[in-house]
Amino acid sequence: MTWNQAFVSRRDALRGLGIALTLPWLESLIPTVARASSAIAAPPRRMAFIFVPNGVHLPNWTPASEGFGFQLPPILEPLANVQEELLVLSGLTHDKGRANGDGPGDHARSASVFLTGAQPRKTDGSNIRSGISVDQAAAQRIGSLTKFPSLELGCEPGRSAGGCDSGYSCAYSSNISWAGESSPLGKETNPRAVFERLFSVSGGQTSDKHAARRQALKKSVLDFISEDARRLQGKLAASDNRKLDEYLTGVREVERRIELAERESSGIKAVDYDVPAGKPREYGDHIRLLCDMMVLAFQTDSTRVASFMFADAGSNRSYRQIDVPDGHHDLSHHRSDPKKLEKISKINRFHVTQFAYLLEKMKAVPEGDGSLLDNCMVCYGSGISDGNRHNNEDLPILLAGRGGGTIDPGRHIRYQHEIPLCNLFMSMLDRVGAPVDFIGDSTGRLSDLQL
Amino acid sequence: MVTFTLAGVLLPGVFITASAGAAETDAADSTHFAAQIAPFLNNHCVACHSGDEPEGGIRFDKYRDSANVQTDYELWEKAARLIREHQMPPADEEQPTTDEIIAITAAINTELKTFDCSTASHPGRVTLRRLNKAEYNNTIRDLVGLDLKLADDFPADDVGSGFDNIGDVLSIPPVLLEKYLAAAESVAERIFGDKDAKKRVLVHEAANDEQRVEVARRHVREFAARAFRRPITGDEEQRLFAIMSFAWEQDSSEEEIFQTVITAILSNPHFLFRVERDPTADDEDGIRNLDGFELASRLSYFLWSSMPDEQLFELARSGELTKPDVLVAQAKRMLADPKSRALVDDFAGQWLQLRDVSRLQPDRDKFPAFDDELRTAMRRETELFFENMIRENRNVLEFLNADFTFVNERLAKHYGIDGITGAEFQRVSLAAGRRGVLTHAGILMLTSNPTRTSPVKRGKWILDNILAEPPPPPPANVPELDEDGETLGSLREQMEQHRENPACAVCHTKMDAIGFGLENFDAIGAWRDRDGRFEINAGGELPGGHKFNGAGDLMQILAEEKKTEFSRCLTSKMLTYALGRGLSSYDRCAVNEIVAALEQGEYRFGNLVAAIVTSDPFTQREVRPPE
Repeated sequence: MTWNQAFVSRRDALRGLGIALTLPWLESLIPTVARASSAIAAPPRRMAFIFVPNGVHLPNWTPASEGFGFQLPPILEPLANVQEELLVLSGLTHDKGRANGDGPGDHARSASVFLTGAQPRKTDGSNIRSGISVDQAAAQRIGSLTKFPSLELGCEPGRSAGGCDSGYSCAYSSNISWAGESSPLGKETNPRAVFERLFSVSGGQTSDKHAARRQALKKSVLDFISEDARRLQGKLAASDNRKLDEYLTGVREVERRIELAERESSGIKAVDYDVPAGKPREYGDHIRLLCDMMVLAFQTDSTRVASFMFADAGSNRSYRQIDVPDGHHDLSHHRSDPKKLEKISKINRFHVTQFAYLLEKMKAVPEGDGSLLDNCMVCYGSGISDGNRHNNEDLPILLAGRGGGTIDPGRHIRYQHEIPLCNLFMSMLDRVGAPVDFIGDSTGRLSDLQL
Repeated sequence: MVTFTLAGVLLPGVFITASAGAAETDAADSTHFAAQIAPFLNNHCVACHSGDEPEGGIRFDKYRDSANVQTDYELWEKAARLIREHQMPPADEEQPTTDEIIAITAAINTELKTFDCSTASHPGRVTLRRLNKAEYNNTIRDLVGLDLKLADDFPADDVGSGFDNIGDVLSIPPVLLEKYLAAAESVAERIFGDKDAKKRVLVHEAANDEQRVEVARRHVREFAARAFRRPITGDEEQRLFAIMSFAWEQDSSEEEIFQTVITAILSNPHFLFRVERDPTADDEDGIRNLDGFELASRLSYFLWSSMPDEQLFELARSGELTKPDVLVAQAKRMLADPKSRALVDDFAGQWLQLRDVSRLQPDRDKFPAFDDELRTAMRRETELFFENMIRENRNVLEFLNADFTFVNERLAKHYGIDGITGAEFQRVSLAAGRRGVLTHAGILMLTSNPTRTSPVKRGKWILDNILAEPPPPPPANVPELDEDGETLGSLREQMEQHRENPACAVCHTKMDAIGFGLENFDAIGAWRDRDGRFEINAGGELPGGHKFNGAGDLMQILAEEKKTEFSRCLTSKMLTYALGRGLSSYDRCAVNEIVAALEQGEYRFGNLVAAIVTSDPFTQREVRPPE
């Protein structure tokens, strides 16, 4: 097969321009395991989560009316082309983002609670603890169906120095995905690295005698290092063993991917996309390029779960490109100053514009009888509501996509006081085939996503 | 003159006495508790925290004339924190005044200082720590001689306790493991593509074919020992050879056999993690002294962010390295080595947040002169200052009051210094207004907003990072200061209005005074006499009646009046970094001893390092420290 030859050397493959045609997921990209597990090849359902920092200016965010046909408020206007694919969910709460006796540190909590619904332990450099996040709860249940259990993306690499927020380790403010209560998942910020990871070929050319030998050697290396990690586990304390568990999970993932590639007849994922050059200097370009990577990953069914931090919690980035040179976090303490509120609205709108780009892109990818977006659930929001008050009720939350026909979008829904955001996560987990008994502080499910 | 004293290290008792003596001036005498603490407890605490079923299981009615810090230290520490953070008493109870809060926390701290460190030793325990990105890059460089910087593509290391080398916070997401494997393969490949690297790994020549296997085994044994930073066991050796035999059976070339085993070594947990043996039941009090190889790695990752060199390995093998005087001599040698530049990049880069200088975006309209050349020069200035501190073993108080710095043409122009040309940096004397690193442009910029200065941020930054006196968070529902615009008068006038609110005044008096002392520097650190329409007034008074006019005076006051606080802050930061773990309450004893040794050692930088590398937490490991 010509594709095999084209991908014999990863370097060769990546050196080029966009490489040839896109194969629809149905025909050859869906991994054998996944194909075998679904009798009828319905398109898979995917979930993604997008975090924006510092809350939003709610009066310019919340639609005036409920139900269908609401008018888009100024911040949400960029979503006009996808309004019919969108639920605006008002009134949801993250109680565990509140201090609850832990004092200041709302920003750090707002990120760590966002997908976990868990009260983070207030610590800077020892015994960090949050909870498993919704994306990882899904990844651990359906991740084995795809090449990668999940993707974690972000634009900011996290603080490189100093403190992040009032006695909370930066691990809390620069990660939203947690594989376990003490295992935050660092994010990829370089689109090129994401692309190479997604579309490099890790073996599978069994026809090539040398490649077969290389695979065998690689496996012997993996056996050796996991054996060493297990031996080491026998000698160390629990906190150390957690680190080695993470290490072993990583080794198993690589092993699984090799096996998957071997089972695939083609083993190849070809996409019609230029290899990204690296991190774009301009922030909007950076976000959109990472959005492209998410779309490619979903489109090729390389993963079904993704999270993306547009910026880290408490980010003080300035937004010169939209004439807001002030720091975002400085501004968010607006004390109702109209000038500041206007600047905040501009920043919120800028983020929503990038979100609209992602959704339109997903909508443009045909899949089955509809579009990729039809089979996605993309949750967008912030872990605090208002940047000045740092409140954790009435969170700004959007849910886009139809979840494979299980969601009826195009509406604004207002929930009763104190309904946990985690209840939305429960409903999303059900829809990707990863139901759980509870996540974070969930008390049930949201029953009205579908009419 | 370069002097490294050992006195504080070898005779810790001397300094315990010395520090106890120092504490006497504000010490708790027998009436202190009853007079300063008991009334507050009676007014605000005992109603709930007493009797048979006290709230939270905490009883304050049992303390009558002593805090019993020897047994209840952590309880009082927590009580002080909760009161300071306005969490106790709870919001629905009558609240103490801000003055009361300041007074009670100070009184509790006075009690805490009476803790006698001679009774219990807790060196603590570092969580299994993986190499961070800088350490990975440097270790590969020193192991194979190729500066590949492969870790630049790894995900960012999370920061805890101010640093990115904290074992507990460094996790290994699956994507990182993938990158470890790819990097290991890449290094293994490149070794054979580079003549010098190949010679470094394949040191020995086989005289004849019969020796080939033995020489190959020797190469692997030696490489693995350097990569694992300790001798490998017979069992490990056998298993590594098994990989080679397996590769040989697959018809691999000699080169491929080596590449496979090198990949296995470089993706191995013993390479990627810094493994230290836990104490066993045989070790007294659950504490053991680290062996030579463990100490070699602790030293090299502290001072070089890299693996030990041959001399350290040699001293580890002979057992010499476990002797304090040898440790100190090695620290001195290592600081003189160019590799100690890592201490500037990784320690100073984080303590002083120099790394952040690269990502700040001052407003272009307000500061049209700012460009990347200036940004680079700002960061370099402080790095050079720190490097010079190491090289010349200078007095650490010069961080506060040095009357010299390093500039190139671009930075000299920014500072208004004449006669400096070219891109090279040179040492210059400073005019009276600028003193020490707190007046370096980079630090002034990173404590400003993008559009303007923020005296509060500057003051708070100095309290947090230089004096270790972080101000309590503002009470809930207190309006923040509007630093925007000129409509309400100068920034200073506005802040003075703000401070008329007594709830704000207590902390802001100190924070703002320090920040306003630096108002002659704009948000990118250039000198100014006016801010818009307003003339700068950089005068003020610190609590305790120390009046100053401008940054020069202010820095001199800090260097004289606050040298103990500064020494303690620097010690705590550097000890955190050296250990790779956040400090706990029990580390106070080690910090006290190191500070005492620093004071005794004329505040020389090298004496600080010497005291750290010979301290208990640096040289010992505890099975399970107190929570």
